[in-house]
Amino acid sequence: MARSKPILIVVAFLISVILVGFPLFNTEHFMVLSLLIMVASFLPFMIHYSKKKVRSRELVVVAILAAIAAVSRVPFASIPSVQPTTFVIIMAAIVLGPQSGFVVGTLAAIVSNLFLGHGPWTPWQMYAWGMIGLTAGLLGNTRMMHSKFGRCVYGFLVGIAFGWIMNLWFVFGVIEEFNWTEVILYYSSSLYFDLTHAICNVLFLWVFSNSWIRIIERFKVKYGLFET
Amino acid sequence: MEILSTQQVSFTYPNATTRAIQDINIQVQQGDFVVLCGPSGSGKSTLLRLFKPEIAPHGSLEGSLSFQGKTMDDLEPSMKAKELGMVFQDPENQIAMDNVMEELIFGMENLGFTTEQMRKKVAEMVNFFGLNHLLDKKTDELSGGEKQLVNLAAILLLDPKVLLLDEPTAQLDPIAAKDFIYMLQRLNEEFGITVIIVEHRLEELFTIANRVIMLEKGVKRFDTTPRELVSKLANHQTMRGYLPSAALLYLSFYPGLYPEEIPLNVKEARNWLKAQNFDSEEAVLVDNLNNQPILELTEVDFRYEKGKPPVLYNLDLTIRGGEWHAIVGANGTGKSTLLKMIGGIVKQQHGVIRYNGKKVKKWDRKSLSYLPQNPKLFFIQDTIKKEYDHIALQHGLENAEDRIQELLCKFNIKHLQDRHPYDLSGGELQKAVLIGTLLTEPTILLIDEPTKGLDPESKRALGEVISGLVKEEGLTVIMVTHDIEFTSNYATRCSMLFQGEITVTENTRDFFHENTYYTTVINRITRNNRVHPVVTLEEAKRTWLVQSQS
Amino acid sequence: MVRGFRSFHPIILLLYYILAIAGLMLYQQPLFLTGGFLAILLANLILDGGKELRKWRFMIMIMGVLTMILTPIFNHKGNHILFYLFENPVMHEAIWQGLIISLTLVSILCLFISFNIVITPDKFIFLFSKFFPQWALLIMLTMRFVPLLRKRLNEISDVQCVKGLSVKSGSIKSRAKNGMFLLQILLTWSLEESIQTADSMTARGYGLGNRSKYQPFYMKRKDWITLVFLLMSGSLVLLGWWLGDGVMALLPILEPFWLYGREWFYLFVFILLIGLPIWLEGKELIKWKYYRHNK
Repeated sequence: MARSKPILIVVAFLISVILVGFPLFNTEHFMVLSLLIMVASFLPFMIHYSKKKVRSRELVVVAILAAIAAVSRVPFASIPSVQPTTFVIIMAAIVLGPQSGFVVGTLAAIVSNLFLGHGPWTPWQMYAWGMIGLTAGLLGNTRMMHSKFGRCVYGFLVGIAFGWIMNLWFVFGVIEEFNWTEVILYYSSSLYFDLTHAICNVLFLWVFSNSWIRIIERFKVKYGLFET
Repeated sequence: MEILSTQQVSFTYPNATTRAIQDINIQVQQGDFVVLCGPSGSGKSTLLRLFKPEIAPHGSLEGSLSFQGKTMDDLEPSMKAKELGMVFQDPENQIAMDNVMEELIFGMENLGFTTEQMRKKVAEMVNFFGLNHLLDKKTDELSGGEKQLVNLAAILLLDPKVLLLDEPTAQLDPIAAKDFIYMLQRLNEEFGITVIIVEHRLEELFTIANRVIMLEKGVKRFDTTPRELVSKLANHQTMRGYLPSAALLYLSFYPGLYPEEIPLNVKEARNWLKAQNFDSEEAVLVDNLNNQPILELTEVDFRYEKGKPPVLYNLDLTIRGGEWHAIVGANGTGKSTLLKMIGGIVKQQHGVIRYNGKKVKKWDRKSLSYLPQNPKLFFIQDTIKKEYDHIALQHGLENAEDRIQELLCKFNIKHLQDRHPYDLSGGELQKAVLIGTLLTEPTILLIDEPTKGLDPESKRALGEVISGLVKEEGLTVIMVTHDIEFTSNYATRCSMLFQGEITVTENTRDFFHENTYYTTVINRITRNNRVHPVVTLEEAKRTWLVQSQS
Repeated sequence: MVRGFRSFHPIILLLYYILAIAGLMLYQQPLFLTGGFLAILLANLILDGGKELRKWRFMIMIMGVLTMILTPIFNHKGNHILFYLFENPVMHEAIWQGLIISLTLVSILCLFISFNIVITPDKFIFLFSKFFPQWALLIMLTMRFVPLLRKRLNEISDVQCVKGLSVKSGSIKSRAKNGMFLLQILLTWSLEESIQTADSMTARGYGLGNRSKYQPFYMKRKDWITLVFLLMSGSLVLLGWWLGDGVMALLPILEPFWLYGREWFYLFVFILLIGLPIWLEGKELIKWKYYRHNK
């Protein structure tokens, strides 16, 4: 695990660079290629986890955290467009590691869509939250995630990135011919929501990340879970 | 035939200095119905879990346990899963699946049954339990009793030879608890399934069980028939409280004279009383009729959603200052809703609530406190002391530190103040929350179902503490509960809630006196008998002239 | 038990939705898309009387209208200038393009609404269990926890409300903070309780060996027939697209909007495929009418 970690970080980083930077090189087959990259970067983790033998306690804890992520918007019903789902996923990932982080994120997306209704956005949401969990887990032991400030920077970046990935379903699914003006138009129209998301992440991480990490950590140690 | 046995079993938890259980030798015969009892910390739950090695606690085990003549280590894992079934205390937490069907087949799937086998077995089981109407439901929609029945059925589908039960009725209301125990009796009598049950509520179990094993401080004290045990525990300090009321009544007047004569249930006790001739004197009732009303609800209506039938309708209720007022009633009559409304959590759609004669718009958070059913929900901070400081800060209390220390000493939990709330026992946690609710020096304390899951000893302690607050500090307590025995012992007045209305409010003694079905065991034993009817054991001791020799 | 479209094997249903989405994305022709859209609307009406559709109608309409208006404003490819808007040319071709995009979008969204009606969570989990059994189990566990956690959140919020912690009143800052406090209690409490759930799973033999899966669905004769129908009509739809029928070329020359010759045949196949729920549900409806008539 210790040695494969840097490799995983590099791979994840490369994937995101390619994904974001691809249109600069090639606008012709951008859609097909990036879809392939997404599937190739997502499916292996799904399959790997499905094959893995997981103890019942670890399975249940992952499910509980995903469920908390999915219901976390309930107490915020009175405040529009504020929801801490991403925050919960990041917290779970930092303490429990990249694999569990990935599962919590993906699962939270699947389950909240099972309750609210699926749409063309479902796979993108799974991808976005799954990858947020994965990367947060990969960075979990780095200096960045050990400092509150670093966590906030991460939270801001993924808040914006989440919105970008979520816009892709529209770009891919509907705009058949790639067209920069349209894409930028669409992205700028969602900027308000993306910024809100990013800022909420920062605020939640700033105020609550220490206590949440402490709670999950205490629990993990108390029951000897997720020891590799 | 011997089915389960222990040879010189001792167990030590990690980082513990003393053994949780010590040198236990038990032989359980096939078809036995064994009650495992003992005061808190006696090691009964530890022993029960050792019988189920997959979920046995971590620690060091000495001695050996065997099932059908083989030691546990030699058994196939699938055999252990199949033949030793386990039901836990909390019905909610045991459920892993989202609908009833999936929950029932979960164990069979784990053991690799085919779809045909599963269909056949489920069909059989559903018919036996009468679960047909539940099969298509979500597990979340079931009541607590139904959930526990589903849990039991899910385990029985694996054809266990032994059922291990860890306080399975502690979280259920009295009616569901009785149904559950009745089901255990059927399984034991009609199918010969061996039952080993850890339980605090022994009232019904003593007539069903053929053996009672009592542990104390990790050591086996008694292993005998229920009737024998009663005679031996007659003078035991803590365990006395666990005995059935019928036996206690007998023992108060004939302590341990004829062990074979001790009644274990209402019927036996009534027969015994028929032969007695006790004179009685009318007790002087302490009445608090003169107390001023502190809280008045008039013509209050409440419904959760427009168009739905009202939960509370045209309800009138008067609470007097300095009384302990119990609101009782069956499930779903709106007891909890009423408490929420008094607490200002929900707002009535019609009618008014008056506090000291003034209309309540918004509560001053200092004058009213709430002791929740689940004390864990009270804590935001990770130690008890931090929580108190937080409350003090939030309400801007002066001299908070003195008050905190005073209460910590009074309730005897000073040594626990830096612990995480979740590491406390049920009784300790409840005291910790009680301190939190008292910090603001409230005049009214709302209590929701305080005795759920508590052992008799903690119940008694809680009753005494709150009684003390009511009598000495003039606190007004409003309690919602199912626990008739607890209410009859401590509450000063009772109200019955039925179909969203208060049907009757009376002094506790009169209230239970006049009820036929909804009343204490002692009252059911003594009403329409030769003796003067009484409601509680204490009342019997006070009023019947033949006094106990002890 | 349910009959009609919903009673088919989940794999058949999934295949239908995949083919239908593919069809909608391939056939970029207003008449095809309009036909497909109407078929999907009708299917929704038959499936649940349009209840779900009504919940989403505003969001769908807004998205449809927006794309229809915005595309010609920002897309300037084409040969025929209709008029100038803020000194930008608005092209005839771009208007068609906007119509096509908007129809595709609205049709896919409506199709997902019927997907949510037909593919109920149990079928969804069944599909997952075919490919990723462990994920299916996890989804099931999480689905079980969601309502439980909601109930717990209510309980927590009641208790904390009396303590003076409210998420309903106060400034946004304090509401958000209190909301997080509630979640934090939920986290601590639920993690602790989850150990019991895990123990109860272990006690029932979880993790011992190969799990079997109860099969509530099996392929019946009607499923096989439908499978053949889907494969055939699906291949024809693909063939039509490959031949260039059912795609309205905008550049270099704007194709006429009306269909000619062979295209009518592919339109027929396309509607036959997309309208599958209508034929299957309609059959049941007629049967019931007939049954009641004869009683």
